[in-house]
Amino acid sequence: MLLAAGAVTVAAVARRRRRAPDERDRYLAVTVNRAPDEVQSSLPEDLARWRDRVEIRIRPAAGDKGTELSVQPSEQVSRHELRLALRRAKAVLEAGEVVQSDTAPTHPGPMGKALRLVTSRAGGGGRL
Amino acid sequence: MKALCWEGINDVRVQDVPDPQLLNDQDMIVKVRLSTVCGSDLHLLTGHIPFMQAGDVIGHEFMGEVAEVGPGVTRHRPGDRVVVCSFIVCGRCWYCRNELYSLCDNTNTNPAITQQLWGADPGGIFGYSHAMGGFRGSHAEYVRVPFADHTAIPIPEGVDDLSALFASDSVPTGWMGADLGGVKPGDVVAVWGSGAVGQMAARAAQLLGAERVLVIDRFDYRLRQAAQAFGVETINYAGTSVGDALLEATGGRGPDVCIEAVGCEAHSTGPQYAYDQVKSKLKLETDRPIAVREAIYNCRKGGSVFVLGVFTGLVDKFPLGALMNKGLTVRGAQQHGQRYIPMLLDRIASGELVTNHLATHIMPLSEGARGYELFKKKEDGCVRAVFQL
Repeated sequence: MLLAAGAVTVAAVARRRRRAPDERDRYLAVTVNRAPDEVQSSLPEDLARWRDRVEIRIRPAAGDKGTELSVQPSEQVSRHELRLALRRAKAVLEAGEVVQSDTAPTHPGPMGKALRLVTSRAGGGGRL
Repeated sequence: MKALCWEGINDVRVQDVPDPQLLNDQDMIVKVRLSTVCGSDLHLLTGHIPFMQAGDVIGHEFMGEVAEVGPGVTRHRPGDRVVVCSFIVCGRCWYCRNELYSLCDNTNTNPAITQQLWGADPGGIFGYSHAMGGFRGSHAEYVRVPFADHTAIPIPEGVDDLSALFASDSVPTGWMGADLGGVKPGDVVAVWGSGAVGQMAARAAQLLGAERVLVIDRFDYRLRQAAQAFGVETINYAGTSVGDALLEATGGRGPDVCIEAVGCEAHSTGPQYAYDQVKSKLKLETDRPIAVREAIYNCRKGGSVFVLGVFTGLVDKFPLGALMNKGLTVRGAQQHGQRYIPMLLDRIASGELVTNHLATHIMPLSEGARGYELFKKKEDGCVRAVFQL
């Protein structure tokens, strides 16, 4: 399955590279289970620090699901950084803190080391 | 401290690992008293879920005593007895607020893996691979419990440790299958799998009013246990046609609700099993969905199928035609434990929900490898091995 996950990731990267210019500008978004004015007034530093370099959009989510918090990527900040910032901001706004993973094993083995390469980037990856 | 670690495929060993620390304000440390094996652990042991590192502490179904709390913990104090749900939940995201706890948005520290595989990331689980957050498991003297106010539940006075243990996972998982499967008074319910989760699903169906409950397995000793504990009817598929037996039991209709409690490494008899074995060995499918196929095929028209067993990826020969043409509702989930655990502990306290017969083998953690061996090979009448710390 690791191979399958790798293939999916490679395909996703290839798809991103083939994106038309307007696709590359598509907003990255999370929905925060807080009211829009609360998100606006207490935007966590993880995201607020990019305010001068990317457009941040805050609007009510459909169906009373909270607030859609979106950023439009730019050349100045990587999508990886923005995904990480969005996830961290959502966690702080909703749960008050970003949960840390436990300390890793001391002897992960060859497959474990390969897996660490994946997980070291996992906070800023994915479909977000 | 001592902990049972995954060291490679079919290799678990007790090792010395560093004591857990409070890493977040809302963490607490629990001194584990009892921790049990679970059928879903076998997918880690066999390498079916490949997101493990040598040295990972496994185990996710446990209870214990609060040892230390972070400054953000308000509902627990050192010395409290708690049952800890296998799913770590923040309690405040939209999913948690809507009691879909296993879908928590804020507890998987490696969201990219499952987002790529499944389109979205579920919550984190103790001891269940780095795809599910990389949290240390419970087969250990101590465990760090993130978002402790929401992840752990106090145990009432009238519930002993062993009965409470199974409220961590198998009881709420089984209950959820019957509840979200839509069991109603008068229903006939069929449950595939007579392990702890299957038995709890069967009991839940009874308590929700099912008129008849039939449990299906290939191990007579497990079927006997289910029949003795709860008075359910049983079908051993090794010597009986499940479809014929279910038609006979339901006047030719089929069960109203079918609950699958087997998972991705299902066994069967006949060519179907050989087919799935070959396909999975060749990596042409990741999971063997034999019990799911049977549940869909045998469910009555307009009935409901709930998938409780753990699946990881892609399956072959999924009976979509039967699902669509019979108008079935098919649903699945990892357990939304926090939704049910307080109510289930009350039912355990009242005596209407018995769980401790599931603990067929109680042993010290030092015998952890033997416990998994008995459990995996279904030897010596093993339903659950429980590690005492």
